[in-house]
Order: sequence, then structure tokens, then C-alpha cells
Amino acid sequence: MRAASGSGAALAAVKGVGGRLLSALPALFGVLALTFILMRVLPGDPASFFVSSPTAGEAELAIVRQRMGLDHPLPMQFLYYLRDLATGDLGTAMTTGRPVADDLVERLPASLELTLAGLLLAVAVAVPAGVLAALRPGSVFDHGVRVLCSAGVSLPTFVSGLLLIYVFYYWLGWAPDPTGRLDIFAFPPETVTGFLLIDCLLAGDWETWWSSLSRLILPACTMALFTIAPLARITRGSMLAVLTSDFVRTAEAVGLPRRKVVVTYALRNALIPVVTISGTIFSTMLGANVLVEKVFSWPGVGRYALDALMASDYAPVQGFVLLMATIFVFVNLAVDLLYAVIDPRVSLS
Amino acid sequence: MTEFNRRQVLMAAAAATAAASLPRLAAAQSREETLRFVHGSVWTALTAGDLTGSRASLPLSANVYDRLVTYGRKEAPGGGWEFDFTVIEPELCESYSVSDDGLTLTFKLDPAAKWHDGTPVTAQDVKWSLDRAVSAETMSKSQLASGSITSPDQIAIVDETTVTVTLPQADRLALPNLAMYLAPMINSTLAKSHATEADPWAIEWLRTNTAASGAYTVERMSPDGAQVVLARNEAWTGGPLPGFKRVIVQSVPEASTRATLLQKGDADLCLDFSPTDLEVLEAADGVKVIQTPQPSGFAALIFNTQMAPFDDPKLRKAISMALPYDRIFETAANGQGMKLYDGAWEGEPETGAFPQPMPYAVDIEAAKAMVEEAGHAGLTVPLYYTVAKAGDFDPAAALIQEALAKIGITVEIQKTPDAQYAEIVTAKTAPMLLERSLALLPSPDYFFRIFLNGDSRWNFSSWANPEVGEILPKARYEADEAAYETMTRRLVSLAYEETPMVMLWKPTTKAAMAEGIAGYTMWYHFGPDFRTLDPA
Repeated sequence: MRAASGSGAALAAVKGVGGRLLSALPALFGVLALTFILMRVLPGDPASFFVSSPTAGEAELAIVRQRMGLDHPLPMQFLYYLRDLATGDLGTAMTTGRPVADDLVERLPASLELTLAGLLLAVAVAVPAGVLAALRPGSVFDHGVRVLCSAGVSLPTFVSGLLLIYVFYYWLGWAPDPTGRLDIFAFPPETVTGFLLIDCLLAGDWETWWSSLSRLILPACTMALFTIAPLARITRGSMLAVLTSDFVRTAEAVGLPRRKVVVTYALRNALIPVVTISGTIFSTMLGANVLVEKVFSWPGVGRYALDALMASDYAPVQGFVLLMATIFVFVNLAVDLLYAVIDPRVSLS
Repeated sequence: MTEFNRRQVLMAAAAATAAASLPRLAAAQSREETLRFVHGSVWTALTAGDLTGSRASLPLSANVYDRLVTYGRKEAPGGGWEFDFTVIEPELCESYSVSDDGLTLTFKLDPAAKWHDGTPVTAQDVKWSLDRAVSAETMSKSQLASGSITSPDQIAIVDETTVTVTLPQADRLALPNLAMYLAPMINSTLAKSHATEADPWAIEWLRTNTAASGAYTVERMSPDGAQVVLARNEAWTGGPLPGFKRVIVQSVPEASTRATLLQKGDADLCLDFSPTDLEVLEAADGVKVIQTPQPSGFAALIFNTQMAPFDDPKLRKAISMALPYDRIFETAANGQGMKLYDGAWEGEPETGAFPQPMPYAVDIEAAKAMVEEAGHAGLTVPLYYTVAKAGDFDPAAALIQEALAKIGITVEIQKTPDAQYAEIVTAKTAPMLLERSLALLPSPDYFFRIFLNGDSRWNFSSWANPEVGEILPKARYEADEAAYETMTRRLVSLAYEETPMVMLWKPTTKAAMAEGIAGYTMWYHFGPDFRTLDPA
């Protein structure tokens, strides 16, 4: 009987997840169509951008237009695009001359690794800081956290990135040169997950693991500096609200140890908005940390999309937006699942 | 892309070696003889001419491929070397000759010349490479056509080691074009084995693979072209063996990061640092900056001569009389390069070289009177330039705006994103542009053909002067130097009289490198040539 109800719950959960994913499809299609139209409405002719040889004329322009599929009317272009998409073909990037899908698959792990590292770092600093600030509102520590938050959020990431490079690479010489994920003289490990830290571990190559970790630290810190602020503020605010609520007062009144009250009862309830905001920050940073990627020569998807956008290279931009929208759907789903873990009252259905 | 290509084999081999040996030790040893070149672009096409390749790919590919011939080089004013357009030397070939009537070019191959895979370079390979250049859909086609090489019929194999190119007329640019990166020599046996029915000239395969004979081989390349490692070809016959055993070509998108790498000694050569980093780099220990004026470069204020209001030559002339040339040169070009405005000649210039200083006479009052007389007082006109060149043109545009306000013309500054700007220039809808460009070959008739004649996008001013149109075809095939000079002098004076563009300055190419590096050469392509560099 118990087993049956257990599998029933699992089935319901799977149904819930499947339903959520299905309901995201219309939104994805909307994003797809909108990006497609926007790219073509925006001024800028990709063909004349790419054909830049001084002797090139109409003939070369026509070849490039044909190769980019621009010689068809707009609705036909969209239909062709959908047809290719159905077969998993995201088109070919003119900027790199390779299939967009290959480019994205290769660059996504770089962005994911950086964003995850940055976010983990930020959470590790922001949540304890937010909690401590909430426990002693108005104290020196609280003000200190506020100053840190204001500084972090008001420094643009490329400024803090350049600053960190200047101090730790140029001045102190502690950090390696900011030229991407791996030392150019190091041999990359065999690609399994695309995450260098994991792939190096799988290959048992500690030297390369250390090399990639040391290169990850500065950009991850740059991102963390920027994301600590919203996380710490949300944690503090939410913690303050929870600490003054009835059930915490009751718990304290019945004489539960302070530690148990704060960690088990208060923090667990206060974390829900933090998880929500973390999900949003993660999705946003994944695509929007272009400046960090640029400053540290990080081969991520954000830089890829921006370069393509500057060149009016349609296919990579469309592929990127589609990828980001899909990731957003999955991150939101993950956030909802996490709610269920944190708060038993929440269920997917 | 299921094919198992050379790069994958090399990567696998490299990984295997890494597992077997001590990679860190090997790296430390090779750093001494390794040149690390950082740039803001990516190297996406290994073989020159690919229509989708990045611009940076073209000069980079010249380090891997040979041409039949190459330009000579001479010492340059800034401390380095510059190419000498008038001297053409053998590269892949052993010797060449031009027939007396200028119609036949004969190339004698070097029997010792080998492709990277060790097979000898044959006359068939040369013919196939040139056939490909004039037939395949690449950038080479139009470039070689500008030197009257248009058909495979013109290229003939005489014997095992001799190839001739026959010209319909004695074109001055036929041979110089063959020395350019767009005429690479390709291992035809290797390339043909990767050709497909849809792609008979193996354009796809040659994008990420090489079939070359040049001074460097591609050891490793990341798929996005951000990191490419070159190894010296010890069997190279095209010239003296390069000084560096390995070259790392690495993409570092942020200009200030490139400058920091140079200062720190982690990068050895950079050609595209930002103007704001120039002073810092010049002052830095262990770094030197070499500035070389570009022989055929120019920065100019350009008018659309086919569109009101600048279809009126009087208005163009008036503007040329009202610009603060010295202030523009000092602020926009930082006083570097060459002035193109303080010429002292009247009527016709002393030489036919172009771009050369033009004798614009500044007189604000007269200019104002001319504008009023021609009925253009109170005119409002947009001035376009691209974001990519904003470093130079932001100050120039502001100064022009201020100066033209004094003669009753209101300038609206339109700084435009690159792709959008390219579209405007191609459609020729902008009345006024600030532009900086260069002709690959410093030959005056070539310059006029590209920038001041015809209907390509590069004729920014859309200038269509019948006399220029008449002189150009004659000049192109004129074998007599004196007669050629007479024609080009006339061309320059026409460009002055009608003012389709106001010449401002001749930009410099700036190269920052480690102090000890010798042999830096500025080529026609202004890209890096690792073959001439030597470590300290």
C-alpha cells in the first residue's frame, strides 16, 4: 500500500514536470518568432559586412546572401528556419564558419562553469552575510554588508574585472594571465562534460585541473561581486521578516536552542525568495556576463552572441536566444522543484 | 563532420604525448623560442580567400602558405621594415621572368620545394592553385581579375618545373597580385582528395585544414579559431628559416587586456591595441612600439557626389577651405602619420603618387561666401562614421562640426554600428562620411580604380569623372614609367579640383612587441608576418 502510494506520487511528479515543459513550448515558439523578426528588422546588412575585400562586388554579395538564405522572401526564410530547427540544425554562423549548434555546445559549458562558480561563491558569501546582518540589524556588521553590496552592485563588471586583473595579475603576479580557460601550453583534457574542472578530474590530470581552477577564480570573483548584492539583501530582508514571525517567537518561547531556531526554522523558510532570485540571477548571468567573458577572454556563449549581433549574423543570435529561453524554462523548473524540497507545503501540481 | 581530419589526429597525438611525458617541462623549454601573438579577432579560415573567413585570417594564412613570388622589403622610417612594392622576389618558385612585351610571366619551380606532407611541389599543383584562384567562389577571383588574370586558359604547364601565365594586355598589377595572400599555392593532390561534387575546389575542407608549403605548419587550432599554434616548417625553401620555432596566435578580445599582457611580458606581439594604451606601452619596460606610415592609407572626409547637396563641386571646395586640418591631425591622429593637406603645389603635383599632401587653402571668409553664393547657407547635413573607427573619428567629427558651423553648415554626427554602416555605404545613401581605409597595393591607378571610380562600395564618393574613367584603363596597361607618371599626376590634380573627398591624414600602423624582437615588417596587409621576426 505504501509502495503504491509512493510510485503514485512519483508518477504525479513526472506528470507535473512534463506538463510544465509542454506548457513552455508556446512561449519558446514566441521567442523564436520574435527573435527571427527582430534580427531582420534591425538595420544592418550581414552580406555587405562579411564581403569586405576591396575588389569584391555584387557577385560576391550574392553568393554570401544565398549562403545565408537571404535570397528568399521573409516568410519562406522563417519556414526554412523552422524546418531546419526540427532536424536540430540551428544554421551556420558566418562569423566562425561552423554550425551554430556545435559552437553553442562547445561554449555553453564554459559559460555554465563560470556562472555556476560565480553563483556558488556569491551564495557562500551572501547567505551567511545576509543572515548575520539580519540577526543584528543596525550593527556595524549590518552596515558593513550594506557597503559591500552597494559597492559590488555599483561597480560595472568590466571595471571590477579589470581592477582584479590589475591587482592580482599585473601588480601582485598571483593570478595567471587572463586569456581564457586554460594555459595555452597546457593540453586540454578529453572532453566529457565540457566542464574543465570535471574533465580534468576524470582524466586524473591534477596539473591541468589546477591551471583551469586558477584561471576560473578571478572571473568567478568578478561575477560574484556583482551578484552578492541582490542575494545578501534578499536573504537579509526575508530573514528579518521570518525572525519576527509568530512561529519563530513561539519556538523561542518554548525554549528551543537559538541555533535550532535560526537554522532549522527561520533560515529554511527565509530561503524560498533566495532560491527564486538565484534562479533568475543564474539565467541572467549565463547570457549577460558578456563583459566578464570579454575582459577575461572567456570563450562563453554571451560573447559569441554579442559578436554575432554586431556582425548582424542571424543564425548564432537566434540559436543563442533559443538556448537561453530553453535554459530559463529548465532553471525555473529546477527552482520550483527546490521549493518542494525546502517547503513541504509546495507541490508541483 | 564525421570525417576524421588532420587536426583531430594531431589533437589525439598531442593528448597521447601529454599523458606519456611531462608537459610542464616541455612547455617551459619551448617558451624561449615561442612567439605569442595576441589579437582582438579570431582566425577562422586557414586558407586565404574564404568568403566567410574573418579579416584577420588573410594575413595570418600567409605565414602558412607560400605564394609564387613575394614583395621585397626595405628599412622603414619608424625603425622597422616595410614592404617594397617595386621589388618582387621569388618565394615558392626558384626564379621568374617577364617577357619583353609584358604579356608572359614565366615561373621556374624549385626542385627542392616540398609541401608540408613531404611531397614535392609540382607544376600541376601551381596550375591547380591558380585555376582555383580564378575559378572558385573566393575572394581571390576578383583580386586576380584586377591584374587581368581571369581564366584557367591563361595558365599553362610548360614542363615539369615551368608554369606560364599569359596576359591579354601588359597589366601592371598581374605580377604584384601573385605576390599577395590571395594567390596561395595549394597542395593539389591533398586538396583534391577532400573535394566533393558540390565543392570541387575543397573550400570547406581548406577552411579548417591546410595543404600548404609555407614557413609554418598548423600544429593545433581550437574550433572557434581563438587559439592556433604554429610550428616552424624546418624544410621551408621559400626564404631564410624564421627565428621562432613556435607561434601562438591567441584571441584576446579586450584591448586593455592585450596591453596588460604585453606589459607583463606574457605576450610578445600585438598590432591592434587601443590608441589610449599607446602611451602606456611606449613607456613600459621591455616593450617597444614601432609606428610606420601606411603607404596607401588615408583618412578623409568624403562627399557623396551623386546626391544633393554635394553634387555641387563648389560646396565641396568650400568645405575643403574651412577645415581645421592641423587640429584634426593633432587630436584625431595624435599627430602620428603623415599630413595629407599641406601640399605646396599648384595646378599639377610634382609626382603622381597618391595619396599625397593636397594644397588645400584655408580661408573661412571665402568659404562662407562660396557657400552663400551657391545657395547652401543654413544647410543641415548628417556625417556618418562607423563605431569601429570612433577612436579617430569622434574628435575629428566634433572639430568638423565646429568648423562648418562657422560657414553656415550644421553637421549632425551619426556614429553608426558596423553592420548598419556597411549597409549604408553599400547603398550609398549617406551624403557625407568620415572614412579611413587603404589600397592593398600602393599604386596610384589602383587607388583611383578602387576608391575614386566605378560603382563598388569602395568608391565612397560615387565620383564618376569622365576624364578619370578615360585615363584609368590606359594607365593600368602603360609599361612606360614616364607616360604612367604623366597620367597619374593628372589624376591627382583632378581629385584636387573636384574634391570628391578631403584628404586629412595618412594613418600609421602601430606594432607593439617585446623589446628584443627584431625584424618587424609592415606588409601591404598590415597583419603579422612571423617569418621575418627574430627573438633577441
